[in-house]
Amino acid sequence: MQPPEPAPSARIGLVFNGVWSQYAFAMAPKYRALYRLLYVHDLTDEAVRGLSALVIPFQSNQPALAARKEVLYRFLAAGKKVVVFGDSQPRWLDAQWEDRPVNNYWWVTNPNNPPVSETNYDHPVYRGLSARHACWHIHGIYTRVPAHAEVVQRNAAGEVITWQTTAYGGVLFASTLDPIVEHGIQQIRHLDHYCDRLTAWLCGETPEGVFTVEPAAYGVTN
Amino acid sequence: MLHAVVISNAILGLEHLFRSDDLVTYRFEEVTAGFDPDFGGADVLIVPNGCDHVAMLKIRDRVRAFLDAGKTLLCFDGWFTAWVPGNQWVHDNEKATKAIRYHVRADRYGLFDGVELDHLQFNHGISGWWACGYIKAAASADVVLADTWERPIIVFDEATTNGLMILTASGPLGDFSFEEGAADEENILSSLGDLPSEKAENGLNTLYRNILRLVHHRKETPYATA
Repeated sequence: MQPPEPAPSARIGLVFNGVWSQYAFAMAPKYRALYRLLYVHDLTDEAVRGLSALVIPFQSNQPALAARKEVLYRFLAAGKKVVVFGDSQPRWLDAQWEDRPVNNYWWVTNPNNPPVSETNYDHPVYRGLSARHACWHIHGIYTRVPAHAEVVQRNAAGEVITWQTTAYGGVLFASTLDPIVEHGIQQIRHLDHYCDRLTAWLCGETPEGVFTVEPAAYGVTN
Repeated sequence: MLHAVVISNAILGLEHLFRSDDLVTYRFEEVTAGFDPDFGGADVLIVPNGCDHVAMLKIRDRVRAFLDAGKTLLCFDGWFTAWVPGNQWVHDNEKATKAIRYHVRADRYGLFDGVELDHLQFNHGISGWWACGYIKAAASADVVLADTWERPIIVFDEATTNGLMILTASGPLGDFSFEEGAADEENILSSLGDLPSEKAENGLNTLYRNILRLVHHRKETPYATA
């Protein structure tokens, strides 16, 4: 069985380390034309040529990213966008991520107290989103961000959840949210809002329709 | 003593779910560009949640040979590539997670002894949190656990190869028994994804321990069935 072919016109690279939820997102018919899976162990300048943005999802292989950081920063220097979700390590990202327990049940036990309390809704990814669509849960915080960074989201304690900087040429955006992985898993069903805004910001095109799963994409042999 | 190899995708905190004790010793094989894991001396191959199924596809012949040598594969992840002999995991989002309930269908070896199903079904009162999708099981395999729509969620297969495969539909298993408030639990593990509540943790720990005990028993008494 062969997987559906990704569209050659895909403009966003999804840096992928063989995790099924990342694969599920990129292979969903809704997103397949816009995202191209880039296996992290094969990440090269040639592989990212022609793309407008790279997305590094939650549950990425941090040592593999560190080994290929020059590819990411050359891409940024060319004026492109790089987006990082979940955890990261200082050896390839000039910031300090720190773990925190995940509260993914606040909407049942304390629905008026989401993990993020402050969001810059002027940012293109967040424009028009409700508070619940702007944060479902977080995987840790940033205790240090680059001096030139602007903060996009904070939690109630004032800790940084999302930030971005243009100091490297293009836009480097980092957040401890996990939209790609959670949307691929499909246990939280309202992440189209966030992922569609993100996609539009990264490539100028807004995906349409609902997230579906194509069984033919499972059981691939190459 | 069991000797297990755990495939590591370098996801933070994984080693805390697989800590050697008096029943099992763990050795980690990390996925790299030149992934070439050593299964020497291992009785069990563990593919945990969050693993690299591109890498696993590249070594599928080695996995098959390991099984044909009578060894055990435990896969607790969604294998979208076809590296597991005879069985295939498939993602699905057509069923509402709030309607997901499990039932034990064929548990010849008592894997669910002492396990409360509600611990797998609910986490902080939310259902559908543990497994994802379902398994297209080999015809000769046992479906240990099925969901509301009779789809296989845990499969026990000792017929497809000379070895044993115990597979979950991406339901994470491991040793979640951390001391309450320990730094491990509070500050290291969120990268592993959705972690169980204390109640759910009890069910997962018991199920995982039952699986290890069965595999250990089979190793010590290879001609017995339980």
